[in-house]
Amino acid sequence: MVDRESDHDGGRVGVSRRRFLETTGAAGAAIGLAGCSGGGGGDGPIQITMDSEWQGISDTVSQSLYDAGLDESIEVEILPGDFESGARRSEFTSALDAGRASPDIFMMDSGWTIPFIARGQLVNLSEELSSETVDYVQSDYLESAVSTASDPGSGDLYGLPLFPDYPVMHYRKDLVEEAGYDPEGENWATEPMSWQEFAEIAADVWEQNGGQGGDFDYAFTTQADNYVGLSCCTFNETMTAFGGAYFGDHENLFGPIGDRPITVNEEPVHDTIRMMRSFMEGPDAEYAHPDFPQISTTDLLSFTEEPAREPFTSGNAIFHRNWPYAIPINLDSDSFEQADYDVMPLPYGVEAGEGDYEGTGGPAGALGGWHLTINPNTQRLDECVQVLEAFANEDVMQSNFAEGGYLPPDPSVTESVDPEEVGALGNFLDTLAVAGQNTVPRPVTVAWPDQSPQVASEVSAAYQGEKSPEEAMSDLESSLGDIESDLAQ
Amino acid sequence: MSTDTRADEGGSLLARPLNWLETQSEEVYAYVLLIPAFALLALVAFYPLIETFRFSLLADAVASADPFGEFIGLDNYVDLLTGDTNFTQQFISISTTDSFPFVTFGAPFLQQALFVTLAFAIVSVLFETTIGFGQALVLDQDFYGRRWVRVSIIIPWAIPIVIQGMIFFLLFNPTIGFGTEFMQWLGVFGDNPLSSSTDSFLIVLVADIWKTTAFMALLILAGLQSIDRGLYDVAEVSGASPWQRFRYITLPLVAPALLVAMLFRTMDAMRIYGLIDATAGCETVPSLTCLVIIALQNSRRWATASAVAFLTAVVISGFVVLYLLALRDSEGGVA
Repeated sequence: MVDRESDHDGGRVGVSRRRFLETTGAAGAAIGLAGCSGGGGGDGPIQITMDSEWQGISDTVSQSLYDAGLDESIEVEILPGDFESGARRSEFTSALDAGRASPDIFMMDSGWTIPFIARGQLVNLSEELSSETVDYVQSDYLESAVSTASDPGSGDLYGLPLFPDYPVMHYRKDLVEEAGYDPEGENWATEPMSWQEFAEIAADVWEQNGGQGGDFDYAFTTQADNYVGLSCCTFNETMTAFGGAYFGDHENLFGPIGDRPITVNEEPVHDTIRMMRSFMEGPDAEYAHPDFPQISTTDLLSFTEEPAREPFTSGNAIFHRNWPYAIPINLDSDSFEQADYDVMPLPYGVEAGEGDYEGTGGPAGALGGWHLTINPNTQRLDECVQVLEAFANEDVMQSNFAEGGYLPPDPSVTESVDPEEVGALGNFLDTLAVAGQNTVPRPVTVAWPDQSPQVASEVSAAYQGEKSPEEAMSDLESSLGDIESDLAQ
Repeated sequence: MSTDTRADEGGSLLARPLNWLETQSEEVYAYVLLIPAFALLALVAFYPLIETFRFSLLADAVASADPFGEFIGLDNYVDLLTGDTNFTQQFISISTTDSFPFVTFGAPFLQQALFVTLAFAIVSVLFETTIGFGQALVLDQDFYGRRWVRVSIIIPWAIPIVIQGMIFFLLFNPTIGFGTEFMQWLGVFGDNPLSSSTDSFLIVLVADIWKTTAFMALLILAGLQSIDRGLYDVAEVSGASPWQRFRYITLPLVAPALLVAMLFRTMDAMRIYGLIDATAGCETVPSLTCLVIIALQNSRRWATASAVAFLTAVVISGFVVLYLLALRDSEGGVA
């Protein structure tokens, strides 16, 4: 009873409170609805999502585009995408899956452009660009870069290669010379040596400096972590140099899925793993290759690009495999003089043409790099096309090379460039030209996002000695096969 | 004149439901007021869950603009529960055998997301509760410098997860960290702890315990401080030993707060992702959330990602139900 009473009382007292709530509730809803009607579009600049480094040189990039004939009424805005390639892929995936109109142009990694092409989520540039430009790209641009920007079926162009990226061997010339070698006389800058020769030189120079526990922690650093860079790049290129391949002849790199051989469980691939085991744990370790000396440690197993570069830049390693971005950083090192530093092409395993499959053997460097692609939902396709036309210009490439160190996608531009104008990279143009001729693209198809982690994980297990090379590659063979048959069209 | 009439009509239209509301009891009125909040809650909580479940019944379409394919029923769940997906890390991958122990692991134990997550949640919550309880008992005492002890206990909780992940990542980084050598000297770790599932699991576990014990300590401390001090005086007069005081006064009275704290921590631990991402990476220590991210972002397999997400919700709600049952009993016991 008491409860009833108090309830009733509460009700009476609550009249004003109720009115208050009702009024404020209605007002709140009205304000909320008003908020929804805001926003809207406008004629802003053409937006390109690139990265913060491109954004940093956006003024000179825009100017070079105008100089190349881009209509000055078209304003170009460079947005900083995520630093990490995988995160940018996710960002673009959601933008395109959601049908968003912004950004108008994407800067896409050559390692994941093809899945977007296969899904029909990009503008067909063969239909939109002028035939002159399409011809120029298809005949003069780096072929392996163009192939990662084209539809594997029709051959149509969907991305305009912006800059390619290929690794070189960075090394300490002073130490090598002190040890009695003659890089200049032997043309290390342009004549690749074999992995065997390389490993013996590295081991010798290391030994003369005290070896393991001596002045240098490593004779050689590279990337062997279980990550995307292992499957696309470091393992791919070394295996290719030894004549091995993921899917047989290189014409199979981009498909057909389910209708190509899987060739990972073969001797050149096993040898690649054994060599890396020797590099890390010495020729006597389990599953190691008896012919190769130890030139590093198992620290390689947790190295990606930057962790592998740091010991070299800080004067703790003699040889180092990395992309050209590391050249300016190494030239700035406090641990050695600029004159003590040089680069050379990556070594070869078997001579060119002696590999088991077409395209394999000889020196090989993984092909990285980025393309410009157009968002099909953009409301200003014509202007986007004009921007891309302007990028396909030699002067723009030279300007990007000089300002940001981005290699021209047209190799003839790299060869004709004035070394004075491109700063730090100018001294290494000859090596970069050789490296550019020996690139191997990653096998990008719609199956690759599933296959890449499988490769990285099995190779990593074999590198760690958890599995024998044969066992790991046999497991990989079956999981790659499962994915192929699962996705075969 | 006409304006007045319209205003009157408007007034009465609005007044009628308001007057109806005035005649209702306080209880009904409370529910009426709560309806928008409940509706919003249902929208925010259940709509995504239902949509996730609907997505999980569709096929993955990695090669078309629409990420979802045709309706395939429970196939995604079958693939996940039989360890038959295209990922390197499986949700669960066990098969039965004829001989003891009758099950074999298709993938190593710590490469199966369900086991990684369960093991992590159970072990971490166990340690965090025990250590947190100890810390709370210490903090519950009056002693000189108690403020400083409180601050030092709470510091790990104040560190952002990613920073904390970086601390542990750098500790075990081969070039600059000293953690690996120390642990090898103890004979615990291998050469590359951040590449080994077992070692990395321990690193993530210790990092989480270090950080979150403070959270448990604070929640338990709140429970301890609500206990009537007079009970201890009575117990002391009656000759109860410290253990008996703990067993018959502290524990039963703090149990509801303890269980709620454990419930929060378990739910949190089941969702572990950030700490793993910042230390060893999802390839090495695949938790359930890791698997969702791998499926969604690396493979663009939205349907499979939805299925993993839904199963994660099922597993977590299983734990929540267990706790709620325990809480119901403990409340009954207290009353």
